Amino acid sequence: MFNLSEEEILRYSRHIILSEVGGAGQQKLKDASVLVIGAGGLGSPALLYLAAAGVGHVGIVEDDIVDITNLQRQIIHTTADVGRPKARSASETMKQINPHIEVDEHQQRLTKDNIFEIIDMYGIIVDGVDNFPTRYLVNDACVMKKKKLVEAGILRFMGLIMSISGAETACYRCVFEEPPPPGTVPTCAEAGVLGAVAGVVGTLQATEVLKMITGVGKPLYNRLLQFDADELRFHEVKAPRNPKCPVCGDNRTITELVEYDYTCESQAPSSP
Amino acid sequence: MGETGINSEKTGMLSSGKDAPCPGPACLDLVVQGKKIHYHGTRNVLSLLESQGENAVYANVRINGEVLRRRDFENIALNDGDEVDFLYYMGGGARRQP
Ligand SMILES: [Zn+2]
Repeated sequence: MFNLSEEEILRYSRHIILSEVGGAGQQKLKDASVLVIGAGGLGSPALLYLAAAGVGHVGIVEDDIVDITNLQRQIIHTTADVGRPKARSASETMKQINPHIEVDEHQQRLTKDNIFEIIDMYGIIVDGVDNFPTRYLVNDACVMKKKKLVEAGILRFMGLIMSISGAETACYRCVFEEPPPPGTVPTCAEAGVLGAVAGVVGTLQATEVLKMITGVGKPLYNRLLQFDADELRFHEVKAPRNPKCPVCGDNRTITELVEYDYTCESQAPSSP
Repeated sequence: MGETGINSEKTGMLSSGKDAPCPGPACLDLVVQGKKIHYHGTRNVLSLLESQGENAVYANVRINGEVLRRRDFENIALNDGDEVDFLYYMGGGARRQP
């Protein structure tokens, strides 16, 4: 039968009562492992829902510390956490919500030299980074390792989400072949972001992960969903695999990991 | 028939046609971001982007499913019935060069 305690069965009863999830689905969640890259605007809601849902093993990659300007949207951290490592702050909040889960803190920066080793420990990857070099690194690594990836980004009043089953469905480069030229797309720090937009999009990422693990429904594969809070509109764009994609297309030109240089080596990648 | 209000929030170059086709050769029927529009502006991608208040630097453009190269925006003509999607780079990220 299922390896769930009485307390867990009560805790997850609103999942278990869903016929599509049931005890079997809850057990799959408990047995699953998910890596969230970035414990920032997107990572905060994603991590909170994964923890609450009972995903048994969650990893966090984050080398930044909590700053007062993060708190407007990075809801896994509190005012008392300012100055503390985000990975630690996030994992503590998650264990307070759900003591049944295991959380790994990877307080380091992802590079082409460590990314394979880290993502290999998890079944599904959630991208919550705010910088293009890491975003492309994560995409390419997940394609090469055939990992499932839930990719997302936010800026100002907009969000974007796309699910990827590495090497089987369209990847981020199938749509956005190359990063924008440095300096052309502003950071959230420069352009701002409505805090709750991070909540909408990060929660959608968690939803996709829970669907993938339990096998419920249809993931956002080969589709790209843009969210516009300004008009409160979702716009779905069909995004089939692009045969010209440099990393997953027919004539691949990217066969090993590349790290784009955005010149700010000293600035650690932080989260949106 | 057909011609209805001008979409004044953008630049006035678009009129929302409900489902009616363009009333004459002066405008194009396009589907932009899933919405049917009548487009009266210059018939290239860059002009359409600008008429929509979009920044050509942030937006990637797809016409009928094909992703365009940024440098071609000015040279790619729009045709009746084109389905145009703007796909935005989001991810914060690209820190400005010092
Ligand atoms: Zn691809």
